[in-house]
Amino acid sequence: MIDSANLQSLAGSIRSVASPFRAYLNDLHQRYRSMDDGAVADYIPELALAKPEWFGICAVSASGRVFDVGDCDRLFTIQSISKPLVYGLALEDHGRDYVTSKVGVEPTGEAFNAIVLDEKTNRPFNPMVNAGAIATTDLVAGEGGTARLKRVLEMLQRYTGRQLDVDVPVFLSERSTGNRNRAMAYLMRNFGMISERIDETLDLYFQQCSVLVNAKDLAMIGATLANGGVNPVTGERAVDQRYVQDIVSVMLTCGMYDYSGEWAYRVGIPAKSGVGGGIVAAVPGKIGIGTFSPLLDAKGNSARGIRVCEDLSRDFGLHVFCAAEPERTLEACIDGSATRAA
Amino acid sequence: MTRIIAVHSYRGGTGKSHLTANLAAQLAVQGRRVAVVDTDLPSPGIHNLFGLAPGDVDKTLNHFLWGLAGIDEVCCEVGTRLGVRPPGRLWLVPSSVRADDIARILKDGFDVRTLHDGLRALSARLGLDVLFIDTHPGLSKETFLSIAMADLVVLVLRPDKQDFQGTAVTVDVARELRVNDMLLAINKVHGKLDPEALRERVEQAYRLPVGAVFPLSEEVAQLASEGVFSLERPDHPITREIVRLAARVMSH
Repeated sequence: MIDSANLQSLAGSIRSVASPFRAYLNDLHQRYRSMDDGAVADYIPELALAKPEWFGICAVSASGRVFDVGDCDRLFTIQSISKPLVYGLALEDHGRDYVTSKVGVEPTGEAFNAIVLDEKTNRPFNPMVNAGAIATTDLVAGEGGTARLKRVLEMLQRYTGRQLDVDVPVFLSERSTGNRNRAMAYLMRNFGMISERIDETLDLYFQQCSVLVNAKDLAMIGATLANGGVNPVTGERAVDQRYVQDIVSVMLTCGMYDYSGEWAYRVGIPAKSGVGGGIVAAVPGKIGIGTFSPLLDAKGNSARGIRVCEDLSRDFGLHVFCAAEPERTLEACIDGSATRAA
Repeated sequence: MTRIIAVHSYRGGTGKSHLTANLAAQLAVQGRRVAVVDTDLPSPGIHNLFGLAPGDVDKTLNHFLWGLAGIDEVCCEVGTRLGVRPPGRLWLVPSSVRADDIARILKDGFDVRTLHDGLRALSARLGLDVLFIDTHPGLSKETFLSIAMADLVVLVLRPDKQDFQGTAVTVDVARELRVNDMLLAINKVHGKLDPEALRERVEQAYRLPVGAVFPLSEEVAQLASEGVFSLERPDHPITREIVRLAARVMSH
C-alpha cells in the first residue's frame, strides 16, 4: 500500500470544511455573534483589552477531525481552564487518596474566589474554585518553580499537541493583584493543607492561568478528555487513563463556577470556563468543544460560549444523561449522511 | 437544497468552461435558478462565454475572499442577455483577470473556509437550484474543496494519454474526499474513434459512468469562447448531447 498520509490529511481537513457539521457551527456563530450580553473581564488591564466581537467555535471529534468557525487562532489566556488539567497532573503525582485528602470534590455554589474551606476537614471544596486550584497546584511535583512550570506546560502541550507559552504581562498582573489568592494560600498553609513553598506555588498558579491558548487548543483538550486521555490527532497520551473520570467528573459538577448545577441540568456536558473567555467541553467518546468569546456573564462564564454549548447539547442529544433519540446524531451530521440521504 | 456540481479537468483545454457554461445556460433556459462560480483563480475565463467584459465588473470573487465585498456584491446577472426568462435565472461569480489580483491570490493564498461559506451563503441567498463550480485544472485547494462540497463532480477529459492518467489521479482524490457522485464527460473525440467503444473502455477503466461523448468540433472552436454554443446553435447535434447531459446531471 502506497503511503498516502499527505493526501489523507489534506482531504480530511477539506472534508471538515465542507461538512454539514461545520455548516451547523457556522449557523451557531451567525446566530450568537450579534448577541452582546455580558462584559469583558477587567480586573487586570491586559484582559480588558479583549474585543467584545471576538468569537470562535471549534470542535474536534474523538477521531481527530477538526471543525472551526470564526476566531479560532486568536490567543487568549487559559485562566481557570488550566485547573482540571493540573488536577489530573496532581492525581498522577500523588494518587487519588492523597489528592482527595487535600482537596474535596463537592460543588460549593459560592463564587470562584470565595475564601471558604470545609469546616470539618479544612479542605477547599473542590479543585475548580481558586482555593482548591491553589492546593492542587501545590501538589505538582518537581524541584523548584522552573521545573514545576515546565511540567505543567509539558502536560498542557500533550493535550493541545502544540507548544504553549505563558503571557508574561498577564502573569505579572495576576501576581501583583492576586492578594485574595495569596490570602487563601496562607489560610490553607495555616491549616497545614499546603506546603510551605507558598510563593513558588502561587507563582506557578498565576503562570498556569496565564498560558496562551486558542479555541482550537481548547477543542483539542476537550477531544483528548473525550478520547480517554489520548490526543486524537497526535496519538499522544496526555493523562493517565485512570484519572480521566476524576477530571471529567469535577468538570461536570464544578466546572462552570456557581452556574455548575444549572449547567449540569441544562447542558449536561463536562466543561470548564475561564475568565479569558474560553470554555472547554468534553462529550465522552464523541467530541471536544472549544469556544472563545470574552464577553462574560455575571457568573464569569462566556455568555456566547454557554449558548453554543446549550444548542449543541440540545440539537445532538449530547447531555450525558440524555436517553431520548436526538433528531440527528452528531456522527451523521459530521459525515454528511443526514443531508445526503435527504 | 441547492445541487452543487463541480466541473473539473486535470489538464487545461479540455473544454471544461465551455461545458460548464452550456450546462448552466441550458438549465437556466429550462427555468432553473442557476449560478456559475469561477474558482479558477489563477486563470479565470468563463466570463467570456457569458459575454462579460473585464470592465463590466468591479468586484470579483477575489474581493470576496479578501473580505472586501459580500458574496452578493460579486455576483453578476448574465442570463437576460442570453435569453434566459423567469423563472429561470443565471448568475456568474467571476474571478479577477487583473494580473495584480491573480498575483495576490498566488502570493497570499486564501482561506478555503471563506470560499466554502460564501458559496453556501450564495446558494441560500439566491435560492439556487444549481450551483456550478468551474475549477482550476489540476489539483489545488479550491479543487479539493469543490470536489468535497459537490453533490456531483463532472470530470472532463479528452481521449489522450495525459488526460487519462490525470483523471485517474483526480478520481483517487475524489474518492478520498468521499465524493457523492461522479460522472465523466469525454470531449474533443476525433473522427477516427468509435464513440461507443470509447465510452465502454473509459467506463471500464474508471468504474464510473460516462455522461456524454462530444466530437472534436470546428464549429465550437470557431465560436472562440464568445458565446454559449448550445444557445446559438439549438439544433446542432452537440447541443442535443449537452441537453441530454444537463438532464443527467440533475437526476439524482
